[in-house]
Amino acid sequence: MVFETRSILAQLATDTRDIMELLNVNNLSIAFDTRDGKTQAVDNISFNVQQGETLGIVGESGSGKSVSCYALMGLIDKPPGHIERGKALFHNVDLLSADEKTMRGIRGKRISMIFQDPMTALNPYLSVGAQIIEPLLLHEDVSRNLAKQKALTLLEEVGINDAASRYYQYPHELSGGMRQRVVIAMALITEPELLIADEPTTALDVTIQAQILELIKDLQQRRNIAVIFISHDLDVIRYMTDRTLVMEQGRIVEHGQSQTVFNSPNHSYTKKLLASIPQQAKPVKFKYTPKKNSPLLSVNNVSISYADRSSRFQAVNNVSLKLAKGEILGLVGESGCGKTTLSQSIVKLINIDRGEILLGELSLHKLNTSELKQARKNVQMIFQDPYASLNPRMTVFNTLAEPLKIHRLAESSDIKKKVLNLMADVGLDPCWANKYPHEFSGGQRQRIAIARALAVEPQLIIADEPVSALDVTIQAQILELLLTLCQQRQLTMIFISHDLAVVRYIADRTAVMNQGKIVELNATETLYQEPTHSYTQQLLSAKLSG
Amino acid sequence: MIRFFLSRLLQAMPVIFIVITATFFLIRSAPGGPFDADKVVSQEVIERLNERYNLDAPIHQQYFDYLSHLIRGDFGPSFRYTNRSVTEMIGAGLPITFELAIYAIMIALIIGISAGMLAAVRPNTAQDYIPMSLAMTGICMPSFLLGPLLVLVFGIWLQWLPVSGWGYSPGDKILPAITLGSTYAAYIARLTRGGMLEVLNQDYIRTAKAKGLSTSKIIFKHALRGGLAPVVAFLGPAIAGLLAGSFVVETIFQIPGLGRFYVQAAFNRDYTMIMGTTILLSCLIVFLNMLSDLLAVWLNPRLTLDAKH
Amino acid sequence: MATDSLQQYQDVVFDQGRSPWQDAWYRLKQNKLAIISLNFLAALVVICVLTPWLAPYGYETQNLALGASGPSAAHWLGTDIHGRDLMTRLMYGGRISLMVGFAATAVSLVIGVLWGAIAGYVGGLTDTVLMRIVDILYALPFMIFIILLMVVFGRSLLLLFLAIGLIEWLTMARIVRTQVMNIRNQEFVSAAIVTGLSHWQIISRHIIPNIIGPVIVYITLTIPSVMLLEAFLSFLGLGIQPPQSSWGVLISGGVETMEEYPWLLLFPGLTLSATLFALNFLGDGLRDALDPRATSD
Repeated sequence: MVFETRSILAQLATDTRDIMELLNVNNLSIAFDTRDGKTQAVDNISFNVQQGETLGIVGESGSGKSVSCYALMGLIDKPPGHIERGKALFHNVDLLSADEKTMRGIRGKRISMIFQDPMTALNPYLSVGAQIIEPLLLHEDVSRNLAKQKALTLLEEVGINDAASRYYQYPHELSGGMRQRVVIAMALITEPELLIADEPTTALDVTIQAQILELIKDLQQRRNIAVIFISHDLDVIRYMTDRTLVMEQGRIVEHGQSQTVFNSPNHSYTKKLLASIPQQAKPVKFKYTPKKNSPLLSVNNVSISYADRSSRFQAVNNVSLKLAKGEILGLVGESGCGKTTLSQSIVKLINIDRGEILLGELSLHKLNTSELKQARKNVQMIFQDPYASLNPRMTVFNTLAEPLKIHRLAESSDIKKKVLNLMADVGLDPCWANKYPHEFSGGQRQRIAIARALAVEPQLIIADEPVSALDVTIQAQILELLLTLCQQRQLTMIFISHDLAVVRYIADRTAVMNQGKIVELNATETLYQEPTHSYTQQLLSAKLSG
Repeated sequence: MIRFFLSRLLQAMPVIFIVITATFFLIRSAPGGPFDADKVVSQEVIERLNERYNLDAPIHQQYFDYLSHLIRGDFGPSFRYTNRSVTEMIGAGLPITFELAIYAIMIALIIGISAGMLAAVRPNTAQDYIPMSLAMTGICMPSFLLGPLLVLVFGIWLQWLPVSGWGYSPGDKILPAITLGSTYAAYIARLTRGGMLEVLNQDYIRTAKAKGLSTSKIIFKHALRGGLAPVVAFLGPAIAGLLAGSFVVETIFQIPGLGRFYVQAAFNRDYTMIMGTTILLSCLIVFLNMLSDLLAVWLNPRLTLDAKH
Repeated sequence: MATDSLQQYQDVVFDQGRSPWQDAWYRLKQNKLAIISLNFLAALVVICVLTPWLAPYGYETQNLALGASGPSAAHWLGTDIHGRDLMTRLMYGGRISLMVGFAATAVSLVIGVLWGAIAGYVGGLTDTVLMRIVDILYALPFMIFIILLMVVFGRSLLLLFLAIGLIEWLTMARIVRTQVMNIRNQEFVSAAIVTGLSHWQIISRHIIPNIIGPVIVYITLTIPSVMLLEAFLSFLGLGIQPPQSSWGVLISGGVETMEEYPWLLLFPGLTLSATLFALNFLGDGLRDALDPRATSD
């Protein structure tokens, strides 16, 4: 096998002209068979990649941005996928029609890939080192020892300290950021000419994301490799790429120099995408004017801990905050900082160890069952995952009618009217009331979840990452809806997110959490413009801005 | 490692103890005694036999006597076969049952894993449907049906293989081993297919493809260890089932193994023999379960011995 | 946006939604083997229920003069050595076999679902204790106990139900527990708690409807394993007591005379295998239909 691969490589190498164009994709169309017939995933796209440049492909989910790159690598399962037509020339080899043997010689040797989720992209059964040297042993005639030396050097280069001992560890023993570094090392060990990075930082926290992006940029420049960078995140694409393709529903709607595309977009979809990024401060019309009245919610010195296998983990550590009626408080922090735990204690999904949570005059964690049921009417929650937060076996109507019935908020003859009104309020067509959650899109489901929270006419809403699972244009719609509803109904809200831009857009005041503590709490604009705590400064500097 | 063994041993003790106690009182609470079948013997003889085998003592006394003998490794004399101790009979039967079980599990693993892998590599094609239909047949064709049918076809009609015995004539081990192993081969094939399909859908298989690995390398180096996890978890219960299944196979093929002894002993009210085989089989099952857990940990770096239970 | 009168909603025409059950039924209907199996089983159940009226001969009617005879116009599946009609005996045996299958599965269902649901829903120490008990019971050599039980206490049908049900509930408990824990950790259950539903309301409205699928699948796979177990015990001479009969008893009898009268083994064996086939195919089909992810590969 080594021999055959080599002869192909030799043939490829004879092409010694100093061409600038590394990859030329022409009229690529890909379709998938589904139960409801054929779906056109990629529709007649053409693009090229120059040596040493970074090409960004940006688009929302289902736009075909990943599928087209998987096709280049021959990673599409056929069936159900079909490459209907097109050519992808890489050094005179058509990647779409080349036989499996030729492709194996190219994959991992001349074109490498980095994947979205470093948690699942590494084989949990093999040590990190074995996985890094695997492409090298496969494609080049090197000894295991030499391969290891090379891997260790590379591990240092991608920023893993103590490479010699990490080499023998298994993926589950490394943090997410570290695993992504390993994946990058694995992709670069054969010194490929083209690197395809498929959403390489989407699963990572913002500070880690900044480090990984910096690393990819640095390596790309040092080694002069071409990179295709796929992302839904416009800021990331703007920061990383020389040229950008914008994809919508399988088509390239706009392409050009990244500067141009982002500064003066031509196509309406690009404009819509760019307008959807919450960049500015909260719109003035939604601004909350502080009033002198007693707080609606007071969290006083609350601590919460989990029993781990051997030790106790302090998830929330002596946190206090107050919310006035009508105010929106943003709660920002990275994963594991305790923001979700804190929010769940406010709706009493979990118990607190110390402190108290006052809703008006009521101490939420000291109520008996019937008092608690009454109190629950006033505090509702919107969850992150619109797919998991709705009971799949209940129609929208039943989902929305349930809280009305439980709290006897409507006569049975009135329930229908109330439910349909609610649906209209959140922008859902009332004639969908008999449909089930799986028949709706993610954004529509989140609207249902919002309607459910509003059904009992609560005073306080806790929204835990309500838009992070949504595409950017949908995200903008949902944020707009939340702001409108809060204003119309005089709602108070705690808005939890890891996304700094979103929080800036929606919150009147913002609290930053780190390791179970609120490290900074201030009026949103003040906090964003003049952060005082070092962690807030670190977070804000990790955020990419155009 | 040592902690794992110790904690498992501590867990096994009460299990074995429950088995011993429950069996002991269960058989003694049954109507009829070991010597009832011999209608010819006089009342006097029965009394003498009862005295000789300590059956006239109060039941709790018998129980403690039995335990104290057991601790010294003495299973007592067989009630049925005078002059033979239970230890002796087990010593004669166990190696045969063990040999049969090993052949059966080998057949089951080799056929099952290869069939399951074939099916998983090309799901929803003939390469999937044919082995999986065969596997379903294996599951729906229990050993007490398959055994006689094999005997009928290969032993009686075709006369290719001997129909009974163990080690008396060449080839007489083939049919019993196939009979016992086939059901488990079928289960293992299905488990392998399911496990492999799940693993083959994982992201890290895509990573391996992107590295340029060939399909066979992907399967053997990246997928197999994860894909066999369900099979490994099934091994403990499978071996327990295999030992129970050997009752039937040994009866059909008239093999003088432990299973046949056990069934006979149960019918004959041979108290000590029942106790001996039950205890032995329980210990075996507990031990084999422990082995399969060890194997699971060895295969999967994410598991640790201490974390399991 | 919408502060309209009741009138406006009197004439909203609703789009008819498709429930997950309808989706599952649609997927099941695509699976020809599963549908054939379903029809086969339905026919089998009908025949067994109506056996006393359908059976061509009496259950114990002997025709010693005829003795064992092969399939003929009078006796479609032949007769046994006492000249009893095999088809009649298969039909009556099927009643017992199916009854054992359903009844023992029902026993395991009741115990297993309650046990697993409590462990999964309450969690914590209760879960640990309940599941540790299941672990310990798993380690017991149950087959040995059942054999002993049947030998010692005689071969009563009731005992058989109980004995088999008592083994099978262990797996049911584990499955239900895992399912309940999965559902309990879903956000829609959290949402229900926040809405103010009581535990019982959460269990009945949100948890049970979502675990029915896996439980049904497991039931269709438990029935064949129970029937197999009954046949196994009958084969060893420990199951149903004559003159009652089950497929296991008929197979066991068939084996004794298989050299001379092979049909006495073949027909009961075929019937049992076909039924097990159908149940297993139906179970597989249901699993694929109820878990859409399973069909994606």
